[in-house]
Amino acid sequence: MRRLPGPFPVGRYAKTLRDELRKRARVLLIGEVTNLRHSPKQSYFEIRDGEGAVPCTIWADELARLRLPEGALRDGAEVIVAGGPDYFPGSSTSSPDFSFRVTHLRLAGEGDLIARLEALRKQLRSEGLFELQKQLRRPRLPRTIGVVTAESGAARRDLLAGLARRGWEGTVIWAFAPVQDRRAAPAIAMAIQDLAARPEVEAIVVTRGGGSLADLWAFCDETLCRTVAMLRVPVVSAVGHERDSTLIDDVAAVACSTPTHAAEAAVPLDCLAARQSLERCALALRRAGEGAIGSRSRHLGALARGPARALQRERGKLNQKIREIRASSERGVADRAASQRRIGTVVLERARRRAAGADMEKRRESLHRVAVTLRAHEPERTLERGYALVEGGTAEPVTSAAAAAAAGEVKLRFADGRVRARTEGDVERET
Amino acid sequence: MNERPESYEAAVERLEEIIDRLDSGQAGLRETLDLCKEGKTLVTFCAAELDEVGEGLKELQLDDLAAKLDAAPEVG
Repeated sequence: MRRLPGPFPVGRYAKTLRDELRKRARVLLIGEVTNLRHSPKQSYFEIRDGEGAVPCTIWADELARLRLPEGALRDGAEVIVAGGPDYFPGSSTSSPDFSFRVTHLRLAGEGDLIARLEALRKQLRSEGLFELQKQLRRPRLPRTIGVVTAESGAARRDLLAGLARRGWEGTVIWAFAPVQDRRAAPAIAMAIQDLAARPEVEAIVVTRGGGSLADLWAFCDETLCRTVAMLRVPVVSAVGHERDSTLIDDVAAVACSTPTHAAEAAVPLDCLAARQSLERCALALRRAGEGAIGSRSRHLGALARGPARALQRERGKLNQKIREIRASSERGVADRAASQRRIGTVVLERARRRAAGADMEKRRESLHRVAVTLRAHEPERTLERGYALVEGGTAEPVTSAAAAAAAGEVKLRFADGRVRARTEGDVERET
Repeated sequence: MNERPESYEAAVERLEEIIDRLDSGQAGLRETLDLCKEGKTLVTFCAAELDEVGEGLKELQLDDLAAKLDAAPEVG
């Protein structure tokens, strides 16, 4: 300590410090106006961004010369100030004070913000922060989603409408936060981190309605964007409208143009369509199962009936054969019988003819002898020899004396005719 | 795949594979019946997952949840 210069009187050192600061180059700073207050001589405010702030002062007459629109310089306004550091050394009774002495001030234009945005975008891209979120798996059917948005606003309503159109009725955890002023970026970053810390949250939506780039500037905050990029839960950003491009869109897993689209990105699955698809799957499975069994059981049934059917067919054939054989057999027997009869007739005829040829003469002679013998025994031959035949009334032969006696009247038949005769007396017996 | 699907997406992906295989007509009876059984399990799982997000929207506020967490007595 002994080697350090001094000790110097503090007032003199303070003035030296003021002089050194005033020598510094004048610069332009850009940031958001906060904590603005006025005194008769000066106006005081801070300009701030996500990384820090600088207290500023401007003389009242210099501010008046700027001819800013009424109310343009206000808390939350994005401004560009020109000036340099200054230091009020204080006095024996007043406190010292550091400030950035503003000599010129204007509201930041779109161009200023875009230039700043592009520089930051380039920086984050070079660090690979745009890709981290996009590599995360996004569940198609989350049960719980977190949403960071303003408590009142169309974005909330539109998001709910989008979810309803999806047929999704899970759990929404709302994290309401300011979405447009210097408090917005830290509040949004904290809300996102708190949501991501909850294990049930599967996706986070950050949304707000449209506005100027200055209005949406909170969503270009470097700290917020770095927070989002490093998160392990996918973030869906839907900030502003299609033409608005904020830095959070670049680092988020998905950037959407409207809250309605954000709902579809947070719940990629259309639950209504999914239910219908599932019903079709269930039907296809049922049909496949039943069809597999049905077709095979029909096939098996056909196979099972096969032997019986074949047997029936063979039995039919057999019966047919039997009928044919029987008919054929009957026809064969009849034919053979007829044939045999014909053969027999022919044989007999032949035999008869053979036999007839040799014996005919003998038979004729024998027949003649028989005829002669028979003729010799005829009654007429006896009558011709003188015998008479006694006949009764009815021409029956009377063969006894008793019958003749009893008849009383008889006929005597001779060879040449009959005569009537009367019997008288008793029978005279032959002795 | 007899264990519980790890996610709805995995279940639907497997279900689509099963339907494709069945539609191909190349699966035998045993495989068909096994696939149908697995498919029905997956359909049931997916239907349950859809039911989880189909019984009325629930809206919670992060601040309320944080307040409840703060108010809860410490365990142990």
